[in-house]
Amino acid sequence: MIRIFIYSFIIFIFLINYSAYAKDLLITNAKLVIDTKTFKENLESNEKLPTDYTNNIHENITIYQSVRAGSDKTITVFFKGIEADYIKDMLGDTDYVIKDAEGNWVTSGIFAPYSHLGMADIGGEELTNDISSPGSSTTISEKASDSFNPQSVFVANNRRHGVTHAVISPTAAGNSVFAGTGSIVSLTGKYNSVIKERAFVFAQLGEKGTQNSGGSRSASLLQLKEGLNTALCNDFRNCRNSLERAINNININSSISNSESEYLIRVTRGNIPLIISVERAIDIIKVINLKKTFKRLDIIILGASEAWKVAEQIAENNIKVMIDPHNNLPSSFETVDSSLKNIIILDKAGVDYAITNLSALGLQGIGTLTQHAGNAVANGLEWHKAFAAITSTPASWFNLSLINNSLVIWDGDPLNITSTPTSMFIDGHAQSLESRQTLLRDRYNPVNESEKEHKYR
Amino acid sequence: MITFNKINLRNILILLSPIFINACSGSLDLKESIAFESTYAPDLSVTTLITNAKIIDGTGADTFNGSICIDQGKIKKILSNNILYDKIEAVDINCKYTNKIDAKNRFVTPGIIDVHSHLGNYPSPSISAHNDGNEITSPITSEVYAEHGVWPQDPGFDEALKGGVTTLHILPGSANLFGGRGVTLRNYPSRTVQGMKFPEAPYTLKMACGENPKRVYGERGGPGSRMGNFAGYRQNWIRAQEYQEKRNSNRLNTSRDLQLETLADVLDGKILVQMHCYRADEMAQILDLAKEFDYKVTTFHHAVEAYKISDILRENDTCAAMWADWYGFKMESYDGILENIPFVHQAGACAMIHSDSDSGIQRLNQEVAKSWAHGNRAGLNIKKEEAWTWLTSNPAKALGILDQTGTLETGKRADIIIWSADPFTTYSRPEKVFLDGQLLYDKHNNIYPRSDFRLGYGVK
Repeated sequence: MIRIFIYSFIIFIFLINYSAYAKDLLITNAKLVIDTKTFKENLESNEKLPTDYTNNIHENITIYQSVRAGSDKTITVFFKGIEADYIKDMLGDTDYVIKDAEGNWVTSGIFAPYSHLGMADIGGEELTNDISSPGSSTTISEKASDSFNPQSVFVANNRRHGVTHAVISPTAAGNSVFAGTGSIVSLTGKYNSVIKERAFVFAQLGEKGTQNSGGSRSASLLQLKEGLNTALCNDFRNCRNSLERAINNININSSISNSESEYLIRVTRGNIPLIISVERAIDIIKVINLKKTFKRLDIIILGASEAWKVAEQIAENNIKVMIDPHNNLPSSFETVDSSLKNIIILDKAGVDYAITNLSALGLQGIGTLTQHAGNAVANGLEWHKAFAAITSTPASWFNLSLINNSLVIWDGDPLNITSTPTSMFIDGHAQSLESRQTLLRDRYNPVNESEKEHKYR
Repeated sequence: MITFNKINLRNILILLSPIFINACSGSLDLKESIAFESTYAPDLSVTTLITNAKIIDGTGADTFNGSICIDQGKIKKILSNNILYDKIEAVDINCKYTNKIDAKNRFVTPGIIDVHSHLGNYPSPSISAHNDGNEITSPITSEVYAEHGVWPQDPGFDEALKGGVTTLHILPGSANLFGGRGVTLRNYPSRTVQGMKFPEAPYTLKMACGENPKRVYGERGGPGSRMGNFAGYRQNWIRAQEYQEKRNSNRLNTSRDLQLETLADVLDGKILVQMHCYRADEMAQILDLAKEFDYKVTTFHHAVEAYKISDILRENDTCAAMWADWYGFKMESYDGILENIPFVHQAGACAMIHSDSDSGIQRLNQEVAKSWAHGNRAGLNIKKEEAWTWLTSNPAKALGILDQTGTLETGKRADIIIWSADPFTTYSRPEKVFLDGQLLYDKHNNIYPRSDFRLGYGVK
C-alpha cells in the first residue's frame, strides 16, 4: 500500500506541475529498450529489481511521458509490474494519449551522429547544395543550422526509418581545415526543429585537410593549432594586437582571422566538442596530442578507420570516436588498416564510441544507421552497446536526453534489417511516417486498384 | 563515401564515383577474335557432401531440408527430405564424398551474383592511378573492354567473397553513351583476369542514359542534352548496321573495326546490352530505340524508376537491376522508393539487386531482405524464396549464365554459401563459400584469400 501511495503521489505531481502543450503519452505493454542507467533512474516498480542487468531489454513495461513546452522539462517514467489499468485510474481525466505497443519493441528515437540532412536538395546540383562553401571567406562562424531546411523531403524520408534527431555538419572547403559550426536538429519537419545551433565545431585533417590547407599534413595540423591558439589567446584578452600576438607566438599571417577564432573559444574552453575527421593511426595520435596543449578540448574523432591500432591511447585521453562498422577496405592509403574489428577493439579498450554510416550515401542515407549498428552486432559487438551507439551515447555528447524527447515503436528488433517503426513521438507529438517516398509508393503500388491515370491517383 | 563538396564536385562526378559514371560493354566474334581466353581452373578434386541443410535453391521453391552432393565441381545430386532434421543422415544420398559437412540446420543457398560491380576497375585504394573503369575520351567507346582495366589484386574481391559473392559482372563506367564491353568474372583468387573470366559467358555492352553522358560531354563537343544522347545512339546503330551488313556479305575482306564489331555483335544477338538508366520515361524510349534497330536491352541498371513502368519491362522481357535504398543523389534518382524491387517483381518482370559498390556488395542479402520486407509491408505477399531470385537466378539470367549457376540444381556449378543463420536477418553471415565445389572461404577455419596489396600492413 505504501508503494501504491508513492505511485499515486508521483502521478499527482505530474498532474499539478505538467499541464502540457503536447498531450502526455502513455505507452502500455512495451518491450522497452533502454540503457541500464537510464532505466534505473526512471523506473518505478513494485518488483524487486534484479541486481544485475545483463541486457537492457525489458518486457511488459508501461511508459508515461509528460511533456512541457521546453523539452528539457520532460519527465519519463517506466512502470514495471504495475497494471496499466491501475496507472490509468491514477491518471484520472488527465489529457493524455494512450498507445498499446502490443508487446512490440519501444525505444528512444535514433540519433544520427553525423549527417548533412536538410542541407541539400540534390547533392549533385551545386545550387541546391549548401553542405560546403568553398567561395566564402568565413569558416568557423558559419552555422549548419542556417543551411538547414526542415522541410527537405529527406527529413520525412529518414524519419520513417526511426531517426528522430541528427547532427548536421558542414564539410571543409576552400582554404581551411575548419568546416564550420555544426548543429543538432530534430526530424519533426517543423520550423523550430533546430535544437542546438552551436553544438560543435568541425575540422578536417588527413587527406581532406591536406587538400584545404596547401597540400600537406604539416600544414593542416599547423592551421588547426593556429586557430586554437588564437582562440585561447583571445579568450584571455591579452594578445589582441600584432605585437602581443607575436609574443604569444601566433602567426600574424594565420589563415584563421581573429573574428573567426572567437567562435572557437567555446571549443578551447571545452564547452562544446571539437569534431575532427581523421583516419590514420599516426594522425589520430597527433590529434590526441592536441590535448597536451589544449587541455580542455572535448575531442570527437570522425572516421577513425585505424583507431583500433591506438585504442588504448584514445581511451586514456577520453577521446570519443564516431566510426562506421562497415568500413573494412583500404579505400585510401590513410585507411589501409580499416577493419571490421575496429569497433570490437575500441569497445574492449573502453573507448566511448558512436556508430555512423559514412560509407553509405551520407546526405539522405541516415535511415541505414540501424543496419550499420546491426552489422556491428553480427561482427561480435553486444546488441545493447551497438544500439546505444546510435542513440543515447552520441546524444549524451551533446547533452540531449534522447529518451525524454522521443519514443519509437517498432515492428521488430530495430537493429534487424527487416524491421521498421510503426509509431513515433517527438516531444510528445505523434509524428507522421508518411513521406514523399510513401506517396510515390502508394501511387504505383501494384495493390492499388485505382482505374485512374497515375497523375490523378 | 559520397559527400558533395562544391570544390571537388567535378572530380567526384567525373573521376571517382561509379554511381555517376557507369556504362557497360561487350562482344566476341568467336571466329574472328579469340582473345583473352579464360584460363579459369578451380580445384575440382574434393567431393563434398553437405547434410542437414535448410536449402533455398534459388528457383523460388520453398525452403527444404536436405543434402547436397558435390562432385567434380558440379552439383551431382540434391536430396530433399520431408523428415525430421535428425534423421536426414540416415537417408542414403549415395555420394562418395571425401569431405562431409554437417550444416547443422544452417541455411544453404546458391552463391550470390552481382550484376553490377566495379571491383578491379575502380579498385581499392581509390586513387587516381586506379581509375580504370571509364574511358572518358569520347562518348562512343564500344571498342574498350572492362577486363583490360581490371586489377585482380583489388582487396574488394576478397571481401565480396566473404559476403558470399561467387560471380560478378564488371562494367565500364557510365560517362559514355556506349561505354565498352563488360566482363563476367568468377570471384576466384587469381593472378590474372583471365584466371577469373567466367568460361564462355557472353560479353555485354555497357550503355548509359541520362545525366552522365550529357554532363561529361556537354562542354566537350556533346552530347549536351538527352536529345543529343539519343541522336548519338541512333547514329552509331546506323553505322553498326552498315558494318554488320558488310561483315555478313564479305567477312574476309572487311577490315576489323573494334568499335563497330562490338555493336554489330549486339545486333547479331551475341552481346547482351546492360544499360545504365534511371528514369521511367527514358527507359521506355530506349526500348523503342531497341525496336528501331532490332536489338534487345537485357537489363536496365540502377533503374530507380523501374516501378513506374514495370508492365512495360515485363512486356519487353527486359530485366531491372536495382538498389534497395540508394536514391536522391542526383535529379534522375530523386524518385527512388524502398519497394522498387518487389513492385517490379510483383508485376511479373525480372527484378534483381545490384551493388555498384565495394561495400554494398558484401551484404547484398541484407539489401534484398530489406526490400522484401518493405514490399510485403506495402501489401504484397512475396515469399523469401521468391525474393532470393533477386540475388542469384535473375542476375544469372541477365548475364546469360543461368544454365550454369544461380540455382542449386543437378548439373550446375557448385557455387554454394553456408550461412550462420537465416540470410534474411542482419545477424546472419556466410560461414563457408564454395566456388565450383572448391571451399574458398571458411570463416571458422581461417581459410580466406588475401590480396598482395594487404601484405605488410596491419590487417591480417
